[in-house]
Amino acid sequence: MQKVISAIVADIGKVLLGKEHQVKLALACLLARGHLLIEDLPGMGKTTLAHALAQVLGLSYNRVQFTSDMLPADILGVSVFERDSGQFRFHQGPVFSQLLLADEINRSSPKTQSALLEAMEERQVSIDGETRQLPEPFFVIATQNPLQQSGTFVLPESQLDRFLMRISLGYPTREAERALFQGVDPRAQLAQLNPRINSGGLKKLQALVGQVKASDSLLDYLERLVQHTRQSPECAVGLSPRGALALLHAARAWALIHGRGHLLPEDLQAVLPAVAGHRLQSDGTDGGQLVERMMHQVDIIAA
Amino acid sequence: MSAAHSQLQSLLPRESLLWIFAAQLVVLLPQFTHLPLWLVGAWCLAVYWRLEVFYGRREMPGRLVKLLAVTLAVAGLALTYRRWFALEPMVALLAVSFTLKNIELASRRDALLSLMLAYFLAATLFIFEQTIPYALYGIFSVVIITAALAAQQGRRSARPGRAFGLSAKLLAQAVPVMLLLFVVIPRLGPLWAVPQNAGGASTGISDSMSPGDFTRLSKSGKPALRITFDGPVPPPEQRYWRGLVYTHFDGRRWSEPGAGDGVVHWGRGRSGFHGGGGEDAQPLPAVGPRYRYQVIQEPSHSPWLFAMARPESDTRGVRKSGDDTLFYRSPLASRFAYEVRSWPRDSLPVDVGLGSRALQRHLQLPERGNARARRWGAELRARGLGAEQISAEVLKRFNSSFVYTLRPPPLGQDSVDEFLFSTQQGFCEHFASSYVFTMRAAGVPARVVAGYQGGEWVAREKYLLVRQYDAHAWAEIWLPERGWVRVDPTAAVAPQRIRDGLQSAAADEFMQDALLPLHKIAFLSRLQLQWDMINYRWYQTVVSFDQERQQGMLQRLLGEISPTRLALFIGAPVIAGLLLLWGWLKLSSRGPKLPVPGRLYLRFCRRMARVGLVRQPGETPGEFARRVEREFPRLGPMAERITSAYEKAAYGDDPRAERQLRRLLRGFWPLRIAR
Repeated sequence: MQKVISAIVADIGKVLLGKEHQVKLALACLLARGHLLIEDLPGMGKTTLAHALAQVLGLSYNRVQFTSDMLPADILGVSVFERDSGQFRFHQGPVFSQLLLADEINRSSPKTQSALLEAMEERQVSIDGETRQLPEPFFVIATQNPLQQSGTFVLPESQLDRFLMRISLGYPTREAERALFQGVDPRAQLAQLNPRINSGGLKKLQALVGQVKASDSLLDYLERLVQHTRQSPECAVGLSPRGALALLHAARAWALIHGRGHLLPEDLQAVLPAVAGHRLQSDGTDGGQLVERMMHQVDIIAA
Repeated sequence: MSAAHSQLQSLLPRESLLWIFAAQLVVLLPQFTHLPLWLVGAWCLAVYWRLEVFYGRREMPGRLVKLLAVTLAVAGLALTYRRWFALEPMVALLAVSFTLKNIELASRRDALLSLMLAYFLAATLFIFEQTIPYALYGIFSVVIITAALAAQQGRRSARPGRAFGLSAKLLAQAVPVMLLLFVVIPRLGPLWAVPQNAGGASTGISDSMSPGDFTRLSKSGKPALRITFDGPVPPPEQRYWRGLVYTHFDGRRWSEPGAGDGVVHWGRGRSGFHGGGGEDAQPLPAVGPRYRYQVIQEPSHSPWLFAMARPESDTRGVRKSGDDTLFYRSPLASRFAYEVRSWPRDSLPVDVGLGSRALQRHLQLPERGNARARRWGAELRARGLGAEQISAEVLKRFNSSFVYTLRPPPLGQDSVDEFLFSTQQGFCEHFASSYVFTMRAAGVPARVVAGYQGGEWVAREKYLLVRQYDAHAWAEIWLPERGWVRVDPTAAVAPQRIRDGLQSAAADEFMQDALLPLHKIAFLSRLQLQWDMINYRWYQTVVSFDQERQQGMLQRLLGEISPTRLALFIGAPVIAGLLLLWGWLKLSSRGPKLPVPGRLYLRFCRRMARVGLVRQPGETPGEFARRVEREFPRLGPMAERITSAYEKAAYGDDPRAERQLRRLLRGFWPLRIAR
């Protein structure tokens, strides 16, 4: 199992140079059955990451470019009257895929955003009074431009909460960029990737995540972290129980990726910025810095 | 304009005002009985004005109005009391300032001032009354004032439930401190003059006795004395509590010259006995006192104290009169306790006789009137009988045909004659008066003694309860060989009066005029007795806790009263309490106990800190191990092993790893290895 995971990480690493940490986070997010929000400037490799993941994990892949005039039906699908059979037939929208890349999600209207976010939460869609299951596994990788950019609708907190992690890729390292300049074409690399795992294997991996042990000492640390967010004057809002559970689950996936059967404080710390950052941010405060400070303040061993 | 605006801003909110008024009302309510009536009106007016200001219908009074109010109030006080340096005018002054503060109650500071004054005024109540109901009321008013203080904080805390809750909690927390201070605060004597409340002299025995006085007393079931004995308790027929001696008779009233104005001159100017020194100078007999007892006397507004014959008292302020009675240096305005030792009369040598002036005093009769009684006395004397025989004759007459009743027929001018020879119905004062008259007519020195007789023995609390209806008058005659001897003519007629008390002697007439015959309901009488026991306890433990008792108690607790011990006594509980609190805070803030691996790992961290490498709170064990490796390469491998053992033990729940960690730590002394 461990080999498979390292192979996956290595494969994606070939396409997205020098971003091992982010790749692992994205993988952990998917293993923990969570959805991923990538926030970054255009051209940083968001789409490439999503594409590579789909490719390596052998998932059916759809990409939707969100625009401001988009309607929910454009994502979910629509019933069309067919003259031949004299009946309505449902045309599946892009949401019916195992991995959906929702590109620039904050460019669409809140109505459309919420249609997608609902599908993410329920893993099913209701159209014309009929409930349709989405395929299993079902991931959404959404990307959004930094909020300051023009023509964006802000995702409200309640909807941010639907994403297990929010990561940003950041500029590539010097070596990676040099490699790019020297003609390594990510797209060509992408085409060469083969699936390392099938959906059955993925399900098994997801099941394994749940078996990673969390000792009392570690849960104490988790509790201290959560309490800190609720009591510290710096945090406008504390971490919700769902947020705390998300943190634990993501850390488990992270531990699994690193081949451990039990959780270490490092695991929590590794996923903490990605899991808690967007949940703790509020007007005027940056979630990332807050989490950094929190990691330094909360004692790992004892209160 | 701007001034009005700032005043508006500083106006207190409605809740705050209402709370202050409530506190004031609660504090002033019991004081209204002492205070002049116009003060009540002034308070109402001030409150009304302040409310009008609140509703915006009136301005805050200007300087002129305030000046006028102060002048009026001071003038009112001066006119009402006509003296300054006494307690009542001072309390009234306090109440006045309290009242006047209302019309300039503008800012929060004023509100606090007013409430602080309220505490003070609430405390002054205890100058006048120290009984349980007033104590309970005192607690009640303190709760209200504290709640009002709490309510000053603002909207939410002004809610009654919240304010009362906080107040009750605060005061409950203060109770231990109060108890401690009650025990250790030095008791100073009162710095003020006790109020001379003339209006209260309605109950008890007065400075003169005329027919009908005792009827009034016999209708009152109020307690007069409570007596506890240290040693034997006298039998009922010995329980004569002498208070006053009357020697002067004007034909109708018995009185004691010089005792009427409440200022007592006895024992000093008057020589009751020859030799100038009188009885006071007599050395105490070698034989010990027969009875030792403590009397708690209800406020009587007169200076006379009550004791058995031949009393001696060491209580401060208690003096002895030439007539063998005790009195206090000023009228009793509040409950008063005094210790008495009484010697039996016959244990004292009677080497003194009556001086000529004393003889004259004790043979005094009015110029005219009561001719038959005089004749009878002279006749008895002419028969050559001795004093005791004359007394026996008179008593025999009483015994033969007289009736003891609480409702005697009215007597005319010659009261003694009419009683002796026609009506022949009466009670103690008639018997005592006519007996003494006859004895004097027969040439035997005699006097009337007023006081209480009997009392109810309260077995549960072991004290004797003497009530107003136990008031009694009897006689004493002078026998040259035995001195003053008590003769109770009433006993000759109604011996059960002496033995069992008034209630059984005059069962039908007893307290007949009472509005409700409550005394006939056994349950209520029992309840009343119960209440009296509680009162007695209250007085014994709380009110009479004076300097002496404080010393006694501290002595019992500490062995010896020295500053060090006292400091220890106060300081030790305080320090212990603080330590406990500190420990509790420490414990409760520490959270759940750290599991074993964590503690072992912290030991590792402490040892590393000694080398100069302190683990940061958010630093994971792995990171720390790497840092150790970087900084102290020689320690690296060991730190690595310890860390991995710790991680396994703490996060992998591996018991073997815990043992390993313990073993590793045993050999890990970075100070030695690093250098």
